[in-house]
Amino acid sequence: MNKLGKGMIISVIVFLFAMSPWAVVSAQEIKIGVIGPMKFVQGIGQWNGATMAAEEINAKGGIQVGNKKMKIKLVQADSNEFLNVTDATNAMERLMTQDKVDLVVGGFRSEAVLAMQDIAMDHKKIFIGIGAAHPELCERVAKNYNTYKYWFRGSPFNSTYLVRTAFIHLGTVGAVMKQSLNIPMIKVAIVMEKAMWADPMIPAAQGAIPKMGMEIAGVWRPSPVATDVTAELSAIQSSGAQIIFEIFSSSVGIPFSRQAGELKIPAFQVGINVEAQKEGFWQATQGMGNYVMTSDTYARGVEYNELTKPFVDGYIKRFREVPTYTADTYTAIVYGLAPVIEQAGTLDSDKLVSILEERVYKIPAGTVKYMKNAEGKPLHDLTWGPGFTTGIATQWQDGKIMGVWPYKWKLTPESPEVTYKGVVPIKLPPWMIEKYKK
Amino acid sequence: MRLIFFYLGKLFTIIKNEVLVLPSRVAVGLFFLFMLLLPLFTKDIYLLRIFTLTSIFAIFAASWDLLSGFTGQMNFGHALFFGVGAYGAALLNLHASIPPWASVPLGALCAVLAGLIIGIPCLRLRGTYLALTTLAFPIILTGLIFAFPSFTGGELGISGIVRLTQSRVGDYYTVAVLMLGLCTVMWKITDSNIGIIFHAIREDEVAVRASGVNTTRYKLLAFSLSGFFAGISGGLYAHFMRIAGPSTLDLFLSFSVVIYAIFGGVVTIYGPVGAVFVLFPLLEFLRVVQNYRTLMFAVVVLLILLYMPDGLFAWLRDKIEKECPRCKIRNIATRHTCRVCTAPLD
Repeated sequence: MNKLGKGMIISVIVFLFAMSPWAVVSAQEIKIGVIGPMKFVQGIGQWNGATMAAEEINAKGGIQVGNKKMKIKLVQADSNEFLNVTDATNAMERLMTQDKVDLVVGGFRSEAVLAMQDIAMDHKKIFIGIGAAHPELCERVAKNYNTYKYWFRGSPFNSTYLVRTAFIHLGTVGAVMKQSLNIPMIKVAIVMEKAMWADPMIPAAQGAIPKMGMEIAGVWRPSPVATDVTAELSAIQSSGAQIIFEIFSSSVGIPFSRQAGELKIPAFQVGINVEAQKEGFWQATQGMGNYVMTSDTYARGVEYNELTKPFVDGYIKRFREVPTYTADTYTAIVYGLAPVIEQAGTLDSDKLVSILEERVYKIPAGTVKYMKNAEGKPLHDLTWGPGFTTGIATQWQDGKIMGVWPYKWKLTPESPEVTYKGVVPIKLPPWMIEKYKK
Repeated sequence: MRLIFFYLGKLFTIIKNEVLVLPSRVAVGLFFLFMLLLPLFTKDIYLLRIFTLTSIFAIFAASWDLLSGFTGQMNFGHALFFGVGAYGAALLNLHASIPPWASVPLGALCAVLAGLIIGIPCLRLRGTYLALTTLAFPIILTGLIFAFPSFTGGELGISGIVRLTQSRVGDYYTVAVLMLGLCTVMWKITDSNIGIIFHAIREDEVAVRASGVNTTRYKLLAFSLSGFFAGISGGLYAHFMRIAGPSTLDLFLSFSVVIYAIFGGVVTIYGPVGAVFVLFPLLEFLRVVQNYRTLMFAVVVLLILLYMPDGLFAWLRDKIEKECPRCKIRNIATRHTCRVCTAPLD
């Protein structure tokens, strides 16, 4: 073998060794694993949020642990969980045993998070979930506290509340329409993409809508990847629906909103439209997505509290986009873990758990207080409601995403009104006002 | 004592005359030794996890080869068997408290049932039509899982399943020994009279039927056997992961097994097993270049398929061994005459 060949082999071995987890790292660092589908927007959000948190904390010298300052070192793990749950568990095991992380944040697909949760719990490492919304993830804590106490939900609040919030948005729009347009009985078209995860929401919506004093005009299930939904829209128009309650997580959210705008369908779109949460939605719908309203977490100019603006503005400055809820890895590290580590003066998981589960603390999206179940057992799930975490609703208003909920919102008639700073009233499309205003 | 010496002598003769004469058999022997001795050299739980999962998928890949490679019943929905095995074992364990040693084979029997259920309507189909039809079954089952979430766990699947054993080394040995045993059984099946009929059905089913063989029975047997082995792998997976979810029925899993088989070499049993032992750890090793991991993995698979269309292990075997043109016995490539009939090999 010639010298060049030998040199190349040695270089490759040195490179691989340097890249390997067995490479030596400083003991003066707190290693935080960030696990998620890194090739997808959700994982990118998780990594961006964690990066921002680490940069911010490290710029201040790190976290005070006992008598020493320790900087944060992030370890990225691509879980590939959308395609391969096995891969996700391997990534988690690698974080635990090879990278030897002290804490983990992330996870997205509920099934994968459930499997990853088991591994983190085996290693007694704190795992803050940022992405998966299934309640079971937290119910495990109550069922088997000693095993699952290291799990905490970071974001979003659980799916039961996500659906409840969407219904509250629907009720709010209904009230606005009744008041402004004087419609005695509002008809609601339920439009949910044809995906299994959306299936259970249909009976839930069919049960909840009549209780809100509204009538169901029909149920439509377009394909998640449909590019033409004029047939559905024509049928919705014929049904006389004044509100379209939509649940779209896929690309169908764009053609649906665009064509509804082009056809000037006299029905208000509200619900969950993931595409409408993105800033490119206006361009994608060529401005026809105006007045679409969706559940959301962050928007420019909307402030849950004094922590929201620095986070949102900082994130936009750093990554040139509005953060999504998966960027709450920032929140988990800066407001969740760092103060707890400083208070405990150690990285011992059991000590951190005992402090974290009792803490009530502000985050950019509200206030965190960990719930207990009906029997008083800790769930480590986020408390939902005014004063805690609620999410927001945004509406496209003339090319801008505006926060429109909570605006003078009362959870119960006796509750105080809640309005977040920067939230504006809902705007009804002019063609609806023209059609229904008497 | 003399009896022991007699059998030891016989074993030595077999090893000397049947194993050591062919590099491929030596390689298989070394592979067995490697699998059985690995925990003596490392207790690294991550490494043992990778090899445990590799062994599980090796059983799964070999079971696809048994059905689609040997019998030619092209199955693009093989994850059905895996998923049924996983869900069967998980449900039995969770609701009937049946321990893994019983829930795994019982789950596999559920997979056999699934094999029969899909085998019967698929008997009239061949080639592309059969492949597309089988593709639909895991999707249908996924639909059923989402339709009855209170029983199946819905999108989350079934969790809270008992561990395979109480230690990672225990898990590894359970799975590794089963993998070595079951793959040997599959290989022996393909080498038996049944295997010859499987081969014949793939080559010319009409001719086999004309010879008086009930091909329907043999095709159903192939579906059932393949379902059983894939079901075992599914059950082991569920107990190892402690979850049986909809991902066990993923199309991704069905296609992975086809990639494994084609990469290693179909109609061999050892080919898909070897392929899993190359590709699964490779994908893990490539985490060191995380951003290019799947791209590099795809490049490796494409290059192998481009330059070794019969599969990596079939290609390797042809490089190190030659088949005697007269008696069809395999010989090491360095020989010029057959070790049995002495016919010239070149």
